[in-house]
Amino acid sequence: MSMPAQVPQIASPSSSAKKPLYEGSTQYKNWRFSPEKLTRIRASLNAAAVSVIRNTFEADEPGSSSNVLFLTADEEHLLVKLYISKISQLCGHFRFPEEVEATAVSYMKRFYLKNTVMDWHPKNVMLTALFLATKTTNNPISLETYTSHIPKTIPSDVLDLEFLVAQSLGFEFAVWHAHRALWGIWLDLQSLPDTPPDQSQDIYDTATMHVRASRLTDAELIYSPSQIALACMSLASPAFASQWAGSKIPSLADTLQPTIETIKSLITQAGHPPDVESVRTVDRRLKLCKNPEKVVGSKAYLAKKAEEERKAEEKRSRKADEIRKAMENGDPFGDELSWQEKEEKIKEIVDEDDND
Amino acid sequence: MDAVEKANSERQKKWTKDQKVGEGTYAVVYRGREVSTGRKVAIKKIKVSQFKDGLDMSAIREVKYLRELQHQNVIELLDVFSSKTNLNLVLEFLDTDLEMIIKDRTLVFLPADIKSWMAMTFRGLEYCHRNFILHRDLKPNNLLVASDGQLKLADFGLARDFADPGYKMTCQVITRWYRPPELLFGSRYYSAAVDIWSVGCIFAELMLRTPYLPGESDMDQLKTTFRALGTPTEEEWPGHTKLPDYVPVGQFPKTPLRDLFTAASADTLNLLSKCLVYEPRKRIGAKEALNHPYFFALPNPSHPSKLPKSSNMASTRALEEVDGNVDQNVAGPAVKAAAPNRLKRKLNSPGDELASRSIARRLDFSQPKQP
Ligand SMILES: Nc1ncnc2c1ncn2[C@@H]1O[C@H](COP(=O)(O)OP(=O)(O)OP(=O)(O)O)[C@@H](O)[C@H]1O
Ligand SMILES: [Mg+2]
Repeated sequence: MSMPAQVPQIASPSSSAKKPLYEGSTQYKNWRFSPEKLTRIRASLNAAAVSVIRNTFEADEPGSSSNVLFLTADEEHLLVKLYISKISQLCGHFRFPEEVEATAVSYMKRFYLKNTVMDWHPKNVMLTALFLATKTTNNPISLETYTSHIPKTIPSDVLDLEFLVAQSLGFEFAVWHAHRALWGIWLDLQSLPDTPPDQSQDIYDTATMHVRASRLTDAELIYSPSQIALACMSLASPAFASQWAGSKIPSLADTLQPTIETIKSLITQAGHPPDVESVRTVDRRLKLCKNPEKVVGSKAYLAKKAEEERKAEEKRSRKADEIRKAMENGDPFGDELSWQEKEEKIKEIVDEDDND
Repeated sequence: MDAVEKANSERQKKWTKDQKVGEGTYAVVYRGREVSTGRKVAIKKIKVSQFKDGLDMSAIREVKYLRELQHQNVIELLDVFSSKTNLNLVLEFLDTDLEMIIKDRTLVFLPADIKSWMAMTFRGLEYCHRNFILHRDLKPNNLLVASDGQLKLADFGLARDFADPGYKMTCQVITRWYRPPELLFGSRYYSAAVDIWSVGCIFAELMLRTPYLPGESDMDQLKTTFRALGTPTEEEWPGHTKLPDYVPVGQFPKTPLRDLFTAASADTLNLLSKCLVYEPRKRIGAKEALNHPYFFALPNPSHPSKLPKSSNMASTRALEEVDGNVDQNVAGPAVKAAAPNRLKRKLNSPGDELASRSIARRLDFSQPKQP
């Protein structure tokens, strides 16, 4: 059985009573944007980060932020793109299935719609996103095996960010992919009576290449998997694509065409890894403007940790007081507990709450 | 604070956590409330730090699937938030489960009641299968029942999607008594039919009020199954002798279901037999089952609110609530024993059910990569 190659906004007549599956997904609901919206989100994340980091610099040493050249949103994006392209290399090395690769790429893109490169370096995020993707796609490997194959990486590098990544994704782990939709289209095509049989495998392979290229673009944040798949099919063979559209979605084939063309040009223009030299410059500048509060061991980092610990301690003692008071007015542990046992109990409860 | 952290802590503040109500293999479950409405919820706190490979696979599966599924007969995941080292799933609170109802000897089931539970089970399952999701752990204890009588598929810790055809999967799934013969024979390419077999076993258990095929080991499970339903022939299940773990376990004759299920209607037995067909490809599908004459014949299924329900449930829970927790409303003496229904469950499970289940999870983890 295959994922239906349904193009969203198009309910097939048989399932019209029921909402197409994709339209009920978290991806459809929470992870689709207009290109303008994407630009706005990235710009505002960037601006917010710059202002926080500037303040941190100033607090540490007044005047110290004036010479710092912070990254722009476009520069951040370039760096993320570079590490997205590295996911594919790593997956080749581990021989992970395509599902893992595509999912990790989606996680990276989604992560940087909630976070900035100046807080979290894409290299670490990439490693965590990929590890998480092996699990969410049911292709788990042990962390030990994973990190031992990646130079200069230890398990904690991956684990430290796992929660943050999962949180940034809103714990929405399921991703609908264009490569699956493409496969559905291909199966459909093979069952059409007038398909030229000979070159169909080549065409599928070429279309798959375009799907891979599309992963380096924003396409999946803007368009549905089937729209992207159809565009990729169209890049490989316009004839096949229109044949499929004509047979499956005749009434919409025409209205869809401009969208398909837009996706095609997005893929041809942006679907390649960035120039390594230009990214290197950005990465070098990042070292000077990254958020010191996120650099383990720095003065700002320690200050932030200390503040957090103070708050936690305050909460703990407040909690213990509350419980002690509650015990005085109507003892919840019964009379047979000794004073020490009660204190033990309080400690247990407080600690229990503390790791909440 | 980062935007992401802030969003998380805001989500966290929407819920309060009260008493502990149970404990599973990888989580502790608390009763809680939605602050704004007072709505009762269950908060499943997953211990993350104990896993050296980070977020646990069961937790990931559960979150992944429940986030996408919305159906009256699938447990609702209301929210997810993390706390320092824990992952918290906020679930709708469900009073009881089908296992407790089946075991409660004070309850009498009418055929209409069984039909109602079966309809709700198939509806939830049809929805999962339509979404290309296999549950892989259906059993009475994972069919939870809400206060209004609605039955909900729960515990998606072993679920996975099956959109990929011919993708090798682990056969170490489904609690033994509900495990179909293709899995017992080690089949690695299976389908939605595995869940249907489990539903068949549950259907039979609702009529018998005791597990239908309670094997004592994997080998004995095959024997128990064949003793009940006859040893499959090559004709009715072509190729089964070629499955990886195939072993001959003896020849047992086919006895009509009627001999055991003396009071059941012909429609009932017809649907039951279609769920328990050996050849997985010939087993009935969830959608087809919902269109089976059984569901259209009289008696009509009972209205969920009229279904039998354990009354001792509340008192069992009340005991657990005090376990290791403060409940300022309870004046009684401290109860330090383990949750009684949790223990009961474990004792009533097949000998190594829990062990084999955690093995299933482990196996999944170390699964060799397919090139
Ligand atoms: N939604 C819920 N509403 C009310 N109680 C619940 C809910 N979910 C779980 N519980 C209670 O918490 C207990 C533990 O649940 P959990 O799903 O973690 O484990 P389990 O299914 O019993 O065991 P296992 O982890 O081995 O599957 C259950 O037995 C039940 O008593
Ligand atoms: Mg369970």
